[in-house]
Amino acid sequence: MSFFGFDQPDLEREKLRFLEGELNSNEDIPTYTWAENYDGLGDALQEGGDELNDETFGGIGTVGKDFDFSNPALPGAEDTQKYRQGINQSPLPSQKAFTSPLSTIPVPAPAISLESIWDDKSPFSLRLNGAARTPSRGPPTSTPRQSGIRTLQEIEAEMRAAAEQSREAVALQQRQQQLLLQQQREEEEFYYRQRQQQEQQQEQELRQRLLYQQQEQQQLQQLQRLQQQQHLQQQREQQQHHRTPPPRMLPVSQSPRFLEHQRQILLLQQQQEQQQLLRLQQLEEQLRVEELERQLRAQQITSQNHYERQQPSGPTLAEMEARHQQQLMQQQQHLRQRSQSPAARGGQHNGQHNVPLQESMPYLPQSIQLQQRLLSEMAQAEFLRDIQGLSQADQEALRMEAVRKILETEKMEEKRRRKAAKIAHMSKYNDLMTQSDKDFITRIQVSQLVSQDPYADDFYAQVYGAIMRSRMGLGVEDERVLKFGSSGGVGLGVPIKGSNRRPSAMQRMQQQVERIVSNAKKREEEKGLHAVHSLQGALGRTSGRSYKASPRQLLQVESSNGPTSSPTLSNAQPHPHISKQDIASEDGAAQAARLGREALGGAADATDLVRRDPLTHREVLVTLETLYDLVMNVEQLKHDEPHPEEQGEAVEEWKQQRDELVEQIWTKLQVMVPLETSNPHPFISLLSAAKGKKLLPRVTRNLDSQRMFTLLTLLIACFSQLDVIANAPILENPEDTPERASVERQTQAFLSSVMQSILPTIVKGELRLVTGLLGLLMDRNDVVAVARTKPGVALLTLLLTRVELIKQSIPEEIPSSADEEQWQMMFDHLFQLLTPHFTRMFPTRTEEGEAAESQDQPVWQFLAALALHATIQQHQILVTSLREKVLENVVSAKKGWGMSEEERQAKLANVDLFLHALGLESSQITV
Amino acid sequence: MLIFSVFKTLTDQQVTVELKNDLSITGVLKSVDQFLNIRLDNIKVLDEARHPHMMAVKNCFIRGSVVRYVQLPAEHVDTQLLEDATRREAQNQVKR
Repeated sequence: MSFFGFDQPDLEREKLRFLEGELNSNEDIPTYTWAENYDGLGDALQEGGDELNDETFGGIGTVGKDFDFSNPALPGAEDTQKYRQGINQSPLPSQKAFTSPLSTIPVPAPAISLESIWDDKSPFSLRLNGAARTPSRGPPTSTPRQSGIRTLQEIEAEMRAAAEQSREAVALQQRQQQLLLQQQREEEEFYYRQRQQQEQQQEQELRQRLLYQQQEQQQLQQLQRLQQQQHLQQQREQQQHHRTPPPRMLPVSQSPRFLEHQRQILLLQQQQEQQQLLRLQQLEEQLRVEELERQLRAQQITSQNHYERQQPSGPTLAEMEARHQQQLMQQQQHLRQRSQSPAARGGQHNGQHNVPLQESMPYLPQSIQLQQRLLSEMAQAEFLRDIQGLSQADQEALRMEAVRKILETEKMEEKRRRKAAKIAHMSKYNDLMTQSDKDFITRIQVSQLVSQDPYADDFYAQVYGAIMRSRMGLGVEDERVLKFGSSGGVGLGVPIKGSNRRPSAMQRMQQQVERIVSNAKKREEEKGLHAVHSLQGALGRTSGRSYKASPRQLLQVESSNGPTSSPTLSNAQPHPHISKQDIASEDGAAQAARLGREALGGAADATDLVRRDPLTHREVLVTLETLYDLVMNVEQLKHDEPHPEEQGEAVEEWKQQRDELVEQIWTKLQVMVPLETSNPHPFISLLSAAKGKKLLPRVTRNLDSQRMFTLLTLLIACFSQLDVIANAPILENPEDTPERASVERQTQAFLSSVMQSILPTIVKGELRLVTGLLGLLMDRNDVVAVARTKPGVALLTLLLTRVELIKQSIPEEIPSSADEEQWQMMFDHLFQLLTPHFTRMFPTRTEEGEAAESQDQPVWQFLAALALHATIQQHQILVTSLREKVLENVVSAKKGWGMSEEERQAKLANVDLFLHALGLESSQITV
Repeated sequence: MLIFSVFKTLTDQQVTVELKNDLSITGVLKSVDQFLNIRLDNIKVLDEARHPHMMAVKNCFIRGSVVRYVQLPAEHVDTQLLEDATRREAQNQVKR
């Protein structure tokens, strides 16, 4: 017989011989063990110190308890120790007992000795070693070893026990049972011995179980949940175990019969050992489970959460229990086999001994689960009985309520879960950037915002913020600018109200920027040039226009056409014959009078007058832009005004600078250009643009009163040249055309800007000045035409009101009788001119209702002012000419023909405005 | 820096941003940086029927380079001041 070509019996014999020391001679080993090319170096090895091998590898004598940490010093421990001694010694006699009858077989079973651990020449051991390396080892092999180093035989036995779980093993066992018949005798002997051992063991077990039961009952409640898990896990493990047969077992069953027999002997012997071992392990397991349970309980007490976290990683208790369960199963299987065998008596005996083991079953989780279920069912039944006491409808309502609540809860739960999932999904991006990353980017960003003149670069936001603050009545704060020494700063824009994170953010930014600035300075010292450029491009290409946050401009204006080299400058020079000295020598009132006289006399000095074409629209705009720049420079200068306490050169220099700029503005305004230079006058041309009108108040703020009088005189002298007067007829157009809208806009701008800017000057003016201005107006303009425009009415009203105020003012300021006479003469002249046109002064109705009345209001106001100055005869003239208009208003207001209350009120208010001036009242008029 | 400066004063105001892909988004301006990147809150897309995917979006960050126009609230812009600021800007550019 050969196994894979090897002569098996020979091998076995050799092994035996080797073990007995027959093959100790050197000549055999090289040929047997190694290849021909063995150099014999191994012979030169001098080995010694073998005397300690036994101690090192164990297997003799009692294994000390010194390193047995898993086995606590319980009452049962001592017995277990004793028992283990018994096991270590027991296999030898039993083996001897049944090897001797088998002497008919030529080869005896290999002795269980230390040598066999290293005996790799045996085909079985080879095979089994291979099986042991396979991952599908049965649980018994993976049980933790307590008994120190075990012999290879023991390991093999465990392997085999695992193999028996498979179906293949079952078939094997049937054959084995046949063999058992032959071995009955040995078995009986063996069982006798085993029974004695088991009886011993039983005593130990009983003692231990008592202890165990006590403890377990205490632990039951805490263990309930755990045991449910265990049960599940256990079932799963068992299924797995049955499903996967050890792969290497099949060939063994096909091996020659002789070997089979031999194997069976081994197997049997190992089974006995296994059984004993299992019992031992079981006991140890129980002890360990107790220990673990105690630990678990401690953990549970300390913290529930901790326990839960530990559960997945803490493998022990569930697995232990599972293994324990499997071992029980194995044992039962063994017993069943025995009971089928002829040695039924021993098997029954064995079964009887097993009863206590079965008694331990009630402590398994299934029964506990059952109890729980029953309890809960009972509770439910009770609850249902309670409910049945209620009416059907109530029950239904309750159920609906319950269903609704459940649905609600489910929905909430679903929502919560989705939210949690989303957060979890997003949280993987948390802290993708560290704080230093963020700081770095902020630094780069902020470094681009740093500029030499933060106020100018952030001009809009700065001024807008200041305006907003002053409008809200807050004190004027200092600039919202971060400044860093002399090197620059960052404009902060408008402060955002009600944000608490602002201060800290500001602080951080300040720190950041300070660091940048200091770093930049350092680098500048190192490199010399362009420190900021090292950061440029770090966030992409920023060197383009976007760097200064200005979008690409659609209009590319050539910058060579600078403010100083404007081509319009050349023909905008003041006429040489009016020198600065002339202006300076004359005082304002005198100049106005001179101009007035000039105008009244109508004797313009035409001889040395250079006639020019009026300014073109482009020239006007260019001049205006230049003016704007100048005005802004003045305003900037005002902003930079040195502290008044600061004495000396700085203040002087500043004043000089400002005067220079104002002088430039004055020149640019071309007020001093002779009246007849062009039509319209250059100054009037400047006012034709809306932005010119808007500029005037800002200019006049910087002009002294003398220049203002000059300006006012010029304005009044050329009043009819103004676009708003010239284009006034367009307003009469009932159709809503773009021109009319434009003129209306211009008129509005004139009233709000120009009139506002001359108002302070007129209000300050003396009677003589006002008389002169009125005379100038009447002389140089068509007063009737002017009076029919809104600006004209406004101007006339302004003048008349001023005179009225002068008349009522304090005695010292009462003008001389000559001036009064002159005024009266002028007024009579005006009245006379206007008399035929009183009714036509009212603007053409472009709107209906209240809006129309508000359009009429300035005219009524003017008429009232006129009435205040008028004599009795003039009153009569006024009343007769305006009788129709007044009556119409009063009647329509009183009858209320389809008009709103507001309109009626407005009509009456307007009429009363005029009638009050005459000492009358609208209520006196009877319809 | 002018436009940046102007937008700074418009924070917490309602603006409409027209993008170069013809999407118009109205929302409250939360912040703007020197690249004119814009952060909007409480946004609403002008033609929601055409852009249903934007309905669920509540706030957004718009890269400055994709903006075509920004419609400003007139009542919160000081036109005259803006003109002045523009003149200043032009003046500064001439100086450089």
